[in-house]
Amino acid sequence: MRRSVRRKTNSRWWRRLGGWLYVLPALAAYLLVVIIPTAQSVWYSFWNWSGVGAATWAGLGNYIAFFTDPQLMQALQHTLVFVVFYSILPIVLGLVSAALVSRSRVRGAGVFRTIIFLPQVLTSVVIVVMWNELFGSNGLVNSALEAVGLGSLAQPWLGSFQWALPVLGLAGTWTTMGLCMLLFVAGVGNIPAELYDAARVDGAGAVREFFTVTLPGLMPQLAVALTLTVIGALRVFDLVWLTTHGGPGDATITPSLLLYQTAFTNGSVGGAAAIGVSLAIVSTLIALGIVAISDRRTA
Amino acid sequence: MIGRFERIVGYAILTIFSAIVLFPVLMLVLTAISPSGSGRIGVTDLRWDNFVIAWQQSDFGSHLLLSLVLAISVSVVTVLITPLAAYAIGVLRIPGHRMLFILFLAGIMIPLEGIIVPLYFTMRTTPFASTIGSLIIAQIGLSVSFGVFWMRAAMVAIPASLVESGRMDGAGSFGLFRSIVMPLVLPALTTLGLLTFMWVWNDYFLAFVLINNPDQLPVTVALGDFTTKYSTQINLMSACAVLVALPVVILYLCFQRQFISGILSGALKG
Repeated sequence: MRRSVRRKTNSRWWRRLGGWLYVLPALAAYLLVVIIPTAQSVWYSFWNWSGVGAATWAGLGNYIAFFTDPQLMQALQHTLVFVVFYSILPIVLGLVSAALVSRSRVRGAGVFRTIIFLPQVLTSVVIVVMWNELFGSNGLVNSALEAVGLGSLAQPWLGSFQWALPVLGLAGTWTTMGLCMLLFVAGVGNIPAELYDAARVDGAGAVREFFTVTLPGLMPQLAVALTLTVIGALRVFDLVWLTTHGGPGDATITPSLLLYQTAFTNGSVGGAAAIGVSLAIVSTLIALGIVAISDRRTA
Repeated sequence: MIGRFERIVGYAILTIFSAIVLFPVLMLVLTAISPSGSGRIGVTDLRWDNFVIAWQQSDFGSHLLLSLVLAISVSVVTVLITPLAAYAIGVLRIPGHRMLFILFLAGIMIPLEGIIVPLYFTMRTTPFASTIGSLIIAQIGLSVSFGVFWMRAAMVAIPASLVESGRMDGAGSFGLFRSIVMPLVLPALTTLGLLTFMWVWNDYFLAFVLINNPDQLPVTVALGDFTTKYSTQINLMSACAVLVALPVVILYLCFQRQFISGILSGALKG
């Protein structure tokens, strides 16, 4: 009796273990491409290696070199500027417009939604072509300036030490503002209507309603928008590489560009791995940090 | 209760946002069909054959086809292997399913920068170094995390009673997967396929690093090379850019609900 029960549970356990067959294809691809290279990145980062020949132990040398690199300070400053353009500006625009749009409950929002979300499906190279046409020497912005008699302000924007960074930042704003707005519009839809009714009964105007009902109700969406856009700002590569290569000088260099240059121009594989590991840690911390803060706010 | 003024404000904001988004897009399309290589827009003499010239120029058409092969094969493999894994983790609850799920989830947090360097040096030693094959393998591995996460979420939402009744009818684990679970998660599967296609088609960085052979470049990297090489043929470059954007934009217009809800809810849960 007992034995047959055990045999039965045993065979069930075996059958459940057989379920691993379902996981194997995905797991194999995932281990090969993501998990093993992640471990290798950490391992590489402790070695001096040029990609060919023998490697020598570096200890924390690559990390020290990266964190004391004067270019890193510049790259981080540029990342902060990008955070303003990729993250803060779109979120503020998105919040205000979502609040106003949901208040008015406009119809026919479907077409607008389709248009406003469009930049999310465009690849960065296409955006680069657009930005070149807008801000190049013969671009539309310069033509417009000349047309209104401000030709003296016309310049090659992407070649300017002063303007290249904010002009690239605007491309980020253009890409993420629709995402933020739609995220917040969806979030406002989840806020119970009673909260708004109660606020109106209390005589709250549009501004007070925004700060007492809408904003607290949007904390989860705000966390998501912040995480996505801040990490997006930290990882900018395509846009800068294809327009300015980080220049003029180092005026638009970013951490991802430093990684690429370190690995493939300077031939320091260990150094590049150390940058990659640092970037991975920082973006994970940003994601976890923002989630933790928003959880405490909503709890 | 809603004032007319508020409605006007609402429409005004939507119109302004739409105009800001559409302006560069329209400019790109108009430049693409203009006669002048300087990028000056001319609407009196539309040159639709710019697209034909762009297709032929520097074998751009073959790069487009390569991208098509890449994006389709990665999407197909992803919608085959990730539901299987999600099924084992979320429905069968195989031994170690919690650990497995955490392992897969970790991949969503790891940015490409964290793996790109060893990935390049590993791929370099394989027979398909610097070919579209290495990119297909890399993209499949990268799509697993989100796919498993996404399909598991859809599967755990299936009422347990449906799965139980399938078991009562004597369905084996694969029969259950095929006849009960898959039909119920088909909408999620469609969204996964579309998003995977878009991400792979739109990728620049991974292809830029992994592929050095000029004949094997997917179309985004090929276009990137154009932007630095052919600055005197801006109309043709714009035509190329339109061709690069077109497949995903067409999919987006046909399946906008799936794209928008997929990206927004994927973003929310990620």
